Amino acid sequence: MNILLLLVPLSVVLVGAAIWAFVWAVRGGQFDDLDAPPLDILGDDMLPRPERRDPPP
Amino acid sequence: MDVASRCFHCGEALPATPSWVELDGLRAPVCCDGCAAAAAWIGGAGLGDYYRLRQREAPRVASHADDYAAWLHPEVLAEHAHRVANGWELTFIVEGMRCAACAWLIDRALGRIDGVLDLSANAVTGRVRVAWDPQRVDLPTLLQRLASLGFTPQLATGLAREQGHRRARRSDLMRLGVAGLGAMQAMMFAEALFLDTRGEMPLATRDFLRWIAFLVSTPVVFYAGWPFLAGMARELRGRRLGMDSLVAVSVLLAYGASLVETLRGGVHVWFDAAVMFVFLLLVARQLETLARRRARARIDALARARPALATRESDDGTLRQVALAALQCGDVVRVAAGDALPADGEVLDRAASLDESLLSGESRPVTRQPGEVVLAGSVCRENGLRYRITQTGSDTRLADLVRLVERAQGERPRLARLADRVAAWFALAMFVLSALVFVAWWQLEPARAFEIALAVLVVSCPCALSLAIPTALAAAHSSLARLGVLAVRGEALEIAARVDSILLDKTGTLTLPTPGLASIHVFAPAQAEWVRSVVAGLQRDSRHPLASAFQFVDAKPAAMLDGVESVPGQGLRGYLDRRELRLGRGDFATGACDDGAVWLGDGHTPLARFELTQVPRGDAAETLARLRAQGLALEISSGDGEDAVREVARQFKVARWSARQSPALKLERLRALQQAGHCVAMLGDGINDAPVLAGADVSFALGEGAGLAHRAADFVLAGTSLRALPATLALARRTRRVTRQNLAWAVLYNAAALPFAALGWVPPWLAALGMALSSLLVTVNALRLLRVDA
Repeated sequence: MNILLLLVPLSVVLVGAAIWAFVWAVRGGQFDDLDAPPLDILGDDMLPRPERRDPPP
Repeated sequence: MDVASRCFHCGEALPATPSWVELDGLRAPVCCDGCAAAAAWIGGAGLGDYYRLRQREAPRVASHADDYAAWLHPEVLAEHAHRVANGWELTFIVEGMRCAACAWLIDRALGRIDGVLDLSANAVTGRVRVAWDPQRVDLPTLLQRLASLGFTPQLATGLAREQGHRRARRSDLMRLGVAGLGAMQAMMFAEALFLDTRGEMPLATRDFLRWIAFLVSTPVVFYAGWPFLAGMARELRGRRLGMDSLVAVSVLLAYGASLVETLRGGVHVWFDAAVMFVFLLLVARQLETLARRRARARIDALARARPALATRESDDGTLRQVALAALQCGDVVRVAAGDALPADGEVLDRAASLDESLLSGESRPVTRQPGEVVLAGSVCRENGLRYRITQTGSDTRLADLVRLVERAQGERPRLARLADRVAAWFALAMFVLSALVFVAWWQLEPARAFEIALAVLVVSCPCALSLAIPTALAAAHSSLARLGVLAVRGEALEIAARVDSILLDKTGTLTLPTPGLASIHVFAPAQAEWVRSVVAGLQRDSRHPLASAFQFVDAKPAAMLDGVESVPGQGLRGYLDRRELRLGRGDFATGACDDGAVWLGDGHTPLARFELTQVPRGDAAETLARLRAQGLALEISSGDGEDAVREVARQFKVARWSARQSPALKLERLRALQQAGHCVAMLGDGINDAPVLAGADVSFALGEGAGLAHRAADFVLAGTSLRALPATLALARRTRRVTRQNLAWAVLYNAAALPFAALGWVPPWLAALGMALSSLLVTVNALRLLRVDA
């Protein structure tokens, strides 16, 4: 069972990495709004951005 | 009412001759020029998807454009904005942002303007954060674009408070994340230890796993569990025991005892119990506060209590909107009915009726005579107010107000406080009992004394008891949010379960807030044009819902009209060239009897008669039917005329109704019902309902209603739908049932298991397992509240 000596500390390191990633995401504002961003991906391709608003084909 | 008869943009009833807009090849009717312009702009910018994505109707677009130049005042910027590279960043509240699609639309509408550096719109908190380059774009331009789409920008509560809110939200989330990840990991190691039922694991492996579990659970207990530890410290300093002490002691005991057992190589450790307890409680508590924080962010009492702008009167009598910070002592300021006072001062001209409930807690309006002191943060009722400022800024009572509001927001629901009180006694009894058990076993069998005392503590650990109420409240608040109901006061849910009668306002609640104007009849010698300008002048400062029916009056308001005031339940009155003019009920305006129409007169002679029609809300009939099915007694109490109320009561089959009710009469009726032993809910929307809303056992205000009504209400129904009302009451009843079941189970379990543990029949691992299962049962039972049939 010596493999435990490697795997268990490894899992602890992974938890540490997961917590670091989570804290980084929270600090970056990733969890501030969970409702509007899902809509962002819906329409963009159909919509011309106005900076280069081409006439519709 | 079918969709075609409503405005395509805002969903309100259409006038007789609606305007039409072309959108993606479709012709759609709209109610007013503002909505037409908004819909046309949205279509033209290729944002027509908004109408497909939205879940609620857009806010109606106001026809007048506000001037936002005062937002650029250096002192406003200093308080609300901060510098970023190449420009400024500002967070403000947007009224009317009702769903994610609105946030999407705002994001697209503003984000495309040249000079906007960064933008994020959050529909949950109702906030928009914008960074712009003042060289390339002007802030007022951005705000006017928002206003032209029907969204009203308002200054938020100030940079420091906004950032404080955000920091608190984020640190809560981080604690939750650490607790979740750490608890999972600790559980994994604990499981390995659990599965070793026959003690075959080598001692070295066992101790290794225990030390790892210790390592993982330490940050969970001390970082994630910090709110409980701090709460315990606070309670101990205040010399009282409460839920936080109980939780913290349970966690620390499980953690400390596990550490002791690890050190001395004992039989069992309970790290998993400690961390799971922290995690579950943290989830429950934070879901509840999150839901309430969301509700509050929307109707931030403080943001409204402190207007960003004031209407200053200069020496020559002209009015100008200025930033709050620009006000100085000695300035004369005007405040319209329904708005908050910007600074302390003394009343000029004539008495004013003020709602000082935020300052004094007194819900009835007080009358301040000329010369008397009025305070910033109080809300002007009924009539406009003109006063001279004596104190501004930090000298005002606003600093107190901030503390008051924060205290009100921090207050915990009564149900949770009850659990606190129970917990205090429970905790004390448990400690005493464990000590007694320990002493008794020490006499009998010293070797087992520690183990058994620990089992007693673990068995009696009131995890289930302390989870019982918070989990139920959290699940219920989450369901409320999905129903579109903002719960402003935490304990309202508990009272809503007991409601057996409902008092309903009619205008704006059962019917649409704006009655349609059916016809005007002008009596000679009055001229139609003159009548229009007088009506425009009279209704200009009034927030009464009836007044908006007269917004046909694009006519220039009669300039010489002065002393305009509203007489509650009667109408409006003002003076034109010293001649008194009255607009309102027949008996008030003309001295004749009341016929349900609105009259313009001088008290004796009629000048014009306005016939109004009422438009019932689309879902009112269905809502009332569902309320009746829930066994509630319905009653309509309206300030409107007899015929109108009878018509609506007949239409909705409500047997009990009363018409011509002033706010005082409504309140009297409410008190009478309460005296008779009923628990009464009130549903209303207007300023005139505010006292009744405040007096009712539990009150519901409509989201589109007056701000003052929101502040007095317990629940705010978002949007224009009434359907959430019966659903909320049903949910409240289910919540009560679930909390009772949970409490009963928790107490029963603890009481039943305790004697066995004290007798030494329960090994500590069984005690821990029982505790975990009991907590799980309570949590799962609470989660049933997440199911709502909207």
